[in-house]
Amino acid sequence: MTDRRLGWLLLAPALAVLGGLTVYPALWVIWLSLHYRIPVFSISRWAGLDHYAFLAVDPRFWSAAWVTAVFAVVSVALECALGLAIALGLRGQRRARRVALGLLLLAWALPSVVTAKMFEWLYHPAGGLVNFMLGGRLINWLGDPALALPALIGADVWRSSPFVALLCYARLLTIPGELYEAAHVDGAAGWQSFARITWPLVRPLLLVALLFRTLDALRAFDIMFVLTGGGPAGSTETLTVYAYRSLFQTLQVGFGSAIGVVVFALVMLVAVAYLRLIDAEERPA
Amino acid sequence: MIPGPGRSVVSLGRPTLLLLLALGLLSSGCGERPAAGAPVTLVFKHAKILGPSDPVPGLLRRFEAEHPGVRVVSEALTWSSDEQHQFYVINLEGGTPPFDVMMLDVIWVPEFARAGWILELTPFVPPAEIDAHFPSAIEPARENGRLWALPWFMNVGLLYYRSDLLARYGFAPPRTYDALVEQVRHIRARESDARLDGYLWQGKQYEGGMVNVLEALWANGARLLDDAGRPFPDRERARESLAFLRGLIESGISPAWVTAADEELTRRPFGDGRAIFLRSWPYALDLFELPDSRVRGKVGVTALPRLAHGPVGAASTGGAHLAVSAGSRHPALAVELVRFLTSEAAQRAMTEGAALRPSRPALYHDPALVARDPSLPALLGLTERGHPRPITPYYLMLSTTLQPEFSAVLVGRKSPERAIADASVQIDHLRRAIRP
Amino acid sequence: MRSGRRRDGLVLVALALYAAPFFWQALTSLRPDAELLPLTHLWPSRLTLVHYDAVLRQSMMPRALLNSFGIALLSTALAVGLGALAAYALARLPVPGRRVILLGMIAATAFPQIATVSPLYLLLRALGLRDTWLALVLADASFTLPLVIWLLAGFIREIPRALEEAGAVDGAGRLGVLRWVVLPLVAPGMASAGLLAFLFSWNEFLFAYSFTASEASRTVPVALALFPGVFEVPWGDIAAASLLASLPPIVIVVAFQRYLVRGLLAGALRE
Repeated sequence: MTDRRLGWLLLAPALAVLGGLTVYPALWVIWLSLHYRIPVFSISRWAGLDHYAFLAVDPRFWSAAWVTAVFAVVSVALECALGLAIALGLRGQRRARRVALGLLLLAWALPSVVTAKMFEWLYHPAGGLVNFMLGGRLINWLGDPALALPALIGADVWRSSPFVALLCYARLLTIPGELYEAAHVDGAAGWQSFARITWPLVRPLLLVALLFRTLDALRAFDIMFVLTGGGPAGSTETLTVYAYRSLFQTLQVGFGSAIGVVVFALVMLVAVAYLRLIDAEERPA
Repeated sequence: MIPGPGRSVVSLGRPTLLLLLALGLLSSGCGERPAAGAPVTLVFKHAKILGPSDPVPGLLRRFEAEHPGVRVVSEALTWSSDEQHQFYVINLEGGTPPFDVMMLDVIWVPEFARAGWILELTPFVPPAEIDAHFPSAIEPARENGRLWALPWFMNVGLLYYRSDLLARYGFAPPRTYDALVEQVRHIRARESDARLDGYLWQGKQYEGGMVNVLEALWANGARLLDDAGRPFPDRERARESLAFLRGLIESGISPAWVTAADEELTRRPFGDGRAIFLRSWPYALDLFELPDSRVRGKVGVTALPRLAHGPVGAASTGGAHLAVSAGSRHPALAVELVRFLTSEAAQRAMTEGAALRPSRPALYHDPALVARDPSLPALLGLTERGHPRPITPYYLMLSTTLQPEFSAVLVGRKSPERAIADASVQIDHLRRAIRP
Repeated sequence: MRSGRRRDGLVLVALALYAAPFFWQALTSLRPDAELLPLTHLWPSRLTLVHYDAVLRQSMMPRALLNSFGIALLSTALAVGLGALAAYALARLPVPGRRVILLGMIAATAFPQIATVSPLYLLLRALGLRDTWLALVLADASFTLPLVIWLLAGFIREIPRALEEAGAVDGAGRLGVLRWVVLPLVAPGMASAGLLAFLFSWNEFLFAYSFTASEASRTVPVALALFPGVFEVPWGDIAAASLLASLPPIVIVVAFQRYLVRGLLAGALRE
């Protein structure tokens, strides 16, 4: 058997599975979004671009888009900053590195539902640790529309920073200590060696982390759905939650698919934009 | 250098993979299947019954005694109405749901009927039996003129008040909301308890919150939909109602946490004596009259007040109905169970044991029941004045579209005008999808 | 040296504080009901196992744990099994368009689940697979398989060609080289990819929530999200259930950390 044929043979099962589970649904969801489709009532007819035309003027869609954007931008910014800080703190660690990494990665590895329930309890007005630490004030973190989104972002930053920290930490480990020693000998202050040595070497990796985290934040569903359900009053309802409610609560499969397609396009756009950016970064080097 | 067969590391070859896949396929069929020749088992899905005692097991045993060879298995639903609905939809959509008789919130009956998930009951129930229930309980259970479920117990929105506090200051139960607000201010100014709340109601973003908003709309003579199904025909009055509800929170008549409160979260503070007025369902009365209740003997019920343009007592009716799943393997027997549980004898047992009210008007004057609960005759009048929420198969879709908008008004994120406008846009989109 | 030890200790304390939410949840799971609401003291007067008892005896969790375990294992097996073969083909064999295919794999890992959930729902419903293990095994594979292929293709490429050529010289065909040279060498990479696939499958929520209907196939995250509470939320029981739900992730982080880290870094650093 030729190498080529063997290659196809080995590739075929995976391609078949993925074709059926990823490519086909990706095309189908676009098809669905062009229909009025409510299976429960056997409603199924052509809608053309009506759903998209509606989304353009739908106040709930724009509210969800805004929440998604704020969530993504703020979460990712905080995660990258915190992740880098943790990595810098970890860099000099000699003893018990596995324990240190373990404590850090725990937050990342937990199921998002566990994290959501955990923070729901932490934020509880009467029984929560957060209010206890703040001196027993009865702040309604998840019930106040002004506080719910920051609270949600806090939970997401907690569980996602370790990923960024790990990436930066791995990078920092590859920077030879001699560079810092040389800079120290030359009389450079701490922040100078950070700016001249650390930052340029860590920056490309931070960009990659930014890419991954942004894509994840745009697609995030579990944590806001379980923590707040999108409430109160839609203050934490992202596009994914809106899509889910349309699909499985009001059973509007056509309309919900349209929102899903929008999220899809958004994610792909951001991915392409970031990849271009990363490419441009790497070229001069 | 090259590892031989005896030393290869774990690598999942294809045979192993196929075996594992086969195992997966086999285990996917693992579900409950009744053994052939076993006694007929009916599965009855219902939510937990609140109150001093649970009459359902006793009733089911009585049914089993009257039908030898039949076993009725009780399965619990989750507590929240929205989750129950989700559960039903997910299971009934699949085609062969593993239950025979279901307890449904009345608002779901037209939807389930239109979707073909429940059995039509008209051929099985004589007209006399149908007429024995409240019309406002039967009407929502009809779809296309046919009957699809029988009422099991009845609910109506009530205003609870602290009779001792009102008596102390010479107040009669308020007939208008303005009067209610005045009474709250008056009483709170003179009572020493600084943390006494004024008026508690359910403002959380869920079906119960929707009920509260609808009652406020109706109290001002506004409807949600007109006869053609168009939203908010009385826009200005609807706006006033929403502004009123938001005003209750802004002025402190109602505490801010009502926007996250459901029935139980409001019943408990009132039951601990920490509020003057409460809007709730009849079940709370039984719990307030328990021997260890702090407000025992101090609670009265009356009709919901009115706003400027509406009637007094514009309460929402509700309650649970029983229906037979269209995929049931024993439809005739399941219908028998439904008729048994909704019969006069069963409803009497339920009223005696649990915090429930019957859907049969005749029982409200039953001497034995009235002796235990003297408020029954008054409740009859209040129930007859209430009316159901919009009867349409699309009610849930409507409600879940409107809930976030109303919730936004209650928490102060949107003005009533904006919310009504935004809600109308969304409902119009829904209507375009629904009508052919 | 002492300042180094002290510094290391401080870092460990800081990280322990970072993980404090988890430890708090663990403490909550052992706290008696009466001391949950309102919170008056950090430390409970006594520890109790009543929540674990309730969760293990009266809730859906034991069945959910079984479901999750089975589904995650099967899904991982599927992903690694098919993925290893496909990765080898993409990495070493002259398949036409393999660069595009590999790019497609990477793109597939970025597909938002919310977009594919509705067609997958309809598809699984049409195939009669609702509320079965197979449905979730397949659904999970839709995002773990491309991930595994991407990771393994990279790991395979790192193997020096000389080793494979030596195998070829010794008379083994392509498949033989794959079986006796490549796979053993990439086994640690497969472990990393498999652990990541298992973890993602265990943690997966959206598909599980949408495709399961009863305890026949409900996984742990869904059981946790749907934890029943009659009037008040049973925070202690939920905490206990959360701890149980976290067992495999904890085991992976503690016992298989090396593989986990390698997998995470490989995915990110190979840009």
